[in-house]
Amino acid sequence: MSAFAKGAYFWRSAAQGVRHAPFVHFIAVVTIAIALFTAGMARGLWQLLDSLIATLGGQVELTVYLDQAAPGWRAEEVAQALGHQSGLDAHVVPPEDALARLKLQLGELGSALDGLPENPLPRTVELTVPAGRRTPEQLRALAEQARALPGVVAVDYGEEAVQRLSAIAMAARAGGLLASLVVAIATIVIVSATLQLAIYSRRAEIEIQKLVGATDRFVKAPFLIEGVLQGLLGALCACAGLWAFAAFGGPRLESLFSFLLGPHGGPRLVTASLVAELFGAGAALGLCGSFVAVGRFLRV
Amino acid sequence: MDAGLTQPMVQFFHVYKAYPGDPPSLTDINLTIGKGEFVFLTGPSGAGKTTLLKLIMCAEKATKGQILVGGRNIARIRESAVPYLRRNVGVVFQDFKLLPHRTVADNVAFTLDVLGVPRAECRERVMRMLKQVGLDHKASSLPLRLSGGEQQRVVIARALVNDPTILLADEPTGNLDPALTLEIMDLLNDVNVRGATVVVATHDATLLERYGKRTLRLESGRVVADEDGIKAARRMAG
Repeated sequence: MSAFAKGAYFWRSAAQGVRHAPFVHFIAVVTIAIALFTAGMARGLWQLLDSLIATLGGQVELTVYLDQAAPGWRAEEVAQALGHQSGLDAHVVPPEDALARLKLQLGELGSALDGLPENPLPRTVELTVPAGRRTPEQLRALAEQARALPGVVAVDYGEEAVQRLSAIAMAARAGGLLASLVVAIATIVIVSATLQLAIYSRRAEIEIQKLVGATDRFVKAPFLIEGVLQGLLGALCACAGLWAFAAFGGPRLESLFSFLLGPHGGPRLVTASLVAELFGAGAALGLCGSFVAVGRFLRV
Repeated sequence: MDAGLTQPMVQFFHVYKAYPGDPPSLTDINLTIGKGEFVFLTGPSGAGKTTLLKLIMCAEKATKGQILVGGRNIARIRESAVPYLRRNVGVVFQDFKLLPHRTVADNVAFTLDVLGVPRAECRERVMRMLKQVGLDHKASSLPLRLSGGEQQRVVIARALVNDPTILLADEPTGNLDPALTLEIMDLLNDVNVRGATVVVATHDATLLERYGKRTLRLESGRVVADEDGIKAARRMAG
């Protein structure tokens, strides 16, 4: 007797089950789709925060602001002194370059800067700090050295912002994980409840199966497959929803937050790995729900 | 047929069955049904006929005693082995237990699906079986479109399609008119002639008399008589 024939029977039976109680399965698929869509959005948000942190972290640099009236040679002197003292690369950023950079960062809003009567930005010196020297103590010491130089009015380094953003990202991740767990459990409960209804509607069939010699595994297998099918269909719907969101809502959001995201925009929302993860998670959710259902309800 | 002359197929040794809170359904049952034998179980309602059949098909467990089916002690059988035993036991019910939304062929194929028989072979065996019970022309019909006798023949086809060694029938003609009753009984008789052990529970005395087969009479959970059908029918009439 062929295992292939049994496998084919399980899939046929699962498909018949879906056809037999379409509304019940629809509810389960929608529930899984909503859960996975939410998870996909949360993952997109984490990726965005990670990318922001990486962008800001990669650009940790000490910015030394000089007096508005300081001439160019003073800025060169400060750069040379800082480079010498710290051993880091220090370079002067003229006001016009700083304005052009700001305009680029502001994206569509950058055109507002065109109306300024004169460039309000001061001459600055930037020191790129390598990853190994980005400890708060070292950054603070560098800032003190810079402040002591003539013509320097202020020193700024983005470490504080990075730390704050990291804390926000961590909190978002922890909250997201907790929310995902709650949503996953709720989804399993709903999927399990819908499958219990499906099992109940097919109790006559199950009774006959048992009478003609079906094993417990044989009776349960189609319901487990139904759960997996629900999960995969839910994942498909979630992916379609995420794709639609990325295609239609993404550009508008990128434009709104371009000052944060920079000229290259944020990371892509729907990636091959996300699709694979959602399909895997969908199948796992469906399988868990059906396991609970057959375990609790199918006492055969 | 004398059970003593044939190899035993079903043996009960001091079997008791009781449900909590109720008087015993079966008390000290001792019997032997030979291989290829045709046996009627008779007795009033509540005598224990259905319980006895349920014990043979492992739908219930005996409270006490030993039951051998095909030489295997089913009182000690593991739960996981029950399905494999049931594959050798065909069962026919009074209420048919057919799936109304599946065709006649699909209902009969159910037994073979469980065994993992490939689709093509399954179709061939189902059609052969339906031909035997005279329903090959109704293979695509839904059960509810068939008469009571035809539905019962579908059930018999489902029970026999995997060539079981034992066929159990619980009041198989209870819902049928006399003409259909004989049609079904002739079919069960044919199955027995082809070698299967057949056990039929009935309280229809005319059947016992007509077929004259060995008859076990149960009353209040005990076997009170083991005789041929004609004697049993006369006793019931008297």
